[in-house]
Amino acid sequence: MSNFWFGEGIRKGRKTEKFPFAQPDDPPARPSGLEGSGEPYCPTEAIKNGKWDQGKCIFCRLCEPEYQPTGRQDIFSVKKTEPALKKSFYIYKLDSGTCGACNVELGTIFDPQFDANRLNIFATNSPRHADAIVIMGILAEGMREALKNAYEAMPEPKLIIALGACAISGGILGDSPMVREDYHVEIAGCPPSPYTILEALARARGD
Amino acid sequence: MPPHEYGDLPVHKMAPGEFNFQYGPSTGGLMESVGITLTTPGELINSVAVDFSFKSRKLNLRGKSIRDALLTVERINGFHAASNSLAFLMSVEDALGMEVSEEVQKARILQLELERIRSHLEVIKRLCEPAGFGVPVNQLGYLREKISRIISRAAGHRFFFGANAPGYCSVSGSGINEKLREAGKEFQRIYAGLLESKIFLNRLQNNGLTRDNFLTGPAARASGLRYDSRIDSATLPYGDTPFYPVIREEKDCFGRFNVRGEEILNSIDIIASLGNIKETGKPSLQEGDGQGCARLESPQGDIFYYAGLNNGLIEDIWHVSPGTLNIRAFQESMKGNIFTDFHFNWESFGIWISEVGVVFQ
Ligand code: SF4
Ligand code: SF4
Repeated sequence: MSNFWFGEGIRKGRKTEKFPFAQPDDPPARPSGLEGSGEPYCPTEAIKNGKWDQGKCIFCRLCEPEYQPTGRQDIFSVKKTEPALKKSFYIYKLDSGTCGACNVELGTIFDPQFDANRLNIFATNSPRHADAIVIMGILAEGMREALKNAYEAMPEPKLIIALGACAISGGILGDSPMVREDYHVEIAGCPPSPYTILEALARARGD
Repeated sequence: MPPHEYGDLPVHKMAPGEFNFQYGPSTGGLMESVGITLTTPGELINSVAVDFSFKSRKLNLRGKSIRDALLTVERINGFHAASNSLAFLMSVEDALGMEVSEEVQKARILQLELERIRSHLEVIKRLCEPAGFGVPVNQLGYLREKISRIISRAAGHRFFFGANAPGYCSVSGSGINEKLREAGKEFQRIYAGLLESKIFLNRLQNNGLTRDNFLTGPAARASGLRYDSRIDSATLPYGDTPFYPVIREEKDCFGRFNVRGEEILNSIDIIASLGNIKETGKPSLQEGDGQGCARLESPQGDIFYYAGLNNGLIEDIWHVSPGTLNIRAFQESMKGNIFTDFHFNWESFGIWISEVGVVFQ
């Protein structure tokens, strides 16, 4: 049987895409950048005074057709990088109150199409071994303590990363676990696409 | 719903020599935040308590318009957003006495079956993970992402967000069948390989035997129960498709794995039978009063919504998640197992905490 799986592995060949060293093979329309004008109804006030705040956007389409998705996947911001983490970058995921979709998309960056491991990005099950905490979801009251404990258990230097509209701004569901000023990296989307997550993580450690 | 509202969850009384082992709420080993307490004298697990209150979210729905409420309902369980949003919309349509065209209902079946394929692939992938089965884990992850891309092209969003409204559906099935047939062939090869793998099957067989009939979804069908809301759906025309309920008698992780594997293949056939699905209906603001309910078969089981409307606004709403029954069944099925069985058994139920631990306000 082990020969069967060995053969299967070889038979399928390499499936990993070149992204982020080339354009995404199959970028989703939503979430992606948004362009337009005017003041259409927006349930999260992501559009205000003609400006679009990607961290508030839940990509619900209610502002279409005045605003249209561009397909651009680079909807993240990086305030602080840690080049020391280039050779190995361990992330600890923390679900502070998600709908589950952010969890799935974060996991997807380890699937063969994206293979985050080739960029020296790994997931760890312990905050003590983590270089970055990736916070997902709104702040559910029961997770307040777990978030604080995980944060304190991490060694320095540590990066704080918000994944998805809930974590960044509360989105449409509640309050964000931290204020935006405290995040080093914001990865927009509801949920963010694996392309956006992968590139944002790569950039966070100085790529 | 917070756990204190589940008065009937059995409570274990500690016996001499037993101690509690706490797992979670935040651990990379599980997909979501959940607290699990295992009571054991050393090896055998005598009791398991699942606390899903850690990430319980309070969601504002009452007083909202149908359109705005839907944005929240889609995010109750993002991975099963089609199931939640369609059950909600069907309850709204029931409340308003709306007639919905057959094209829209077929487009709904398309979404539900695509969601089922992806969800079942995810569960089978997670069953392979604790077995350290790297090749199938990667191949199933690859397939799951392929399905996400099919969904993204069909619905304009990888999780169907924004694709539905009362009487309306913006999903297109163009070009889907060829891609699904290809994915189906790939899955069949992986599935056949897993069914031949004695090491893998040993971890599943006789692990997590269900003890009673308080079950829903694949867990029920793997326990010999002919229970699937697609059989007698009053609104969704499953009768015109090759749908059949997959029933197994094993009652264990293997049965649940087996039901999911067969259902993936059946869902591909169901979608192929739907014909050419195009964007149908027109989104419109719905106003009116009434009360309505709906149920449908989500990937983890029977999901139910009730909606009370007043002048087009949500006056009252509640839902019953299949996770509620299945958490109870999981707890019961862990008794007498050992810790190494835990991950296989937990994953085999396919429970989503986000959906169970939600409180509507
Ligand atoms: S997609 Fe929705 S949340 Fe984003 S800007 Fe448009 S209306 Fe606002
Ligand atoms: S940001 Fe969107 S996808 Fe992520 S947890 Fe919140 S509602 Fe779900």
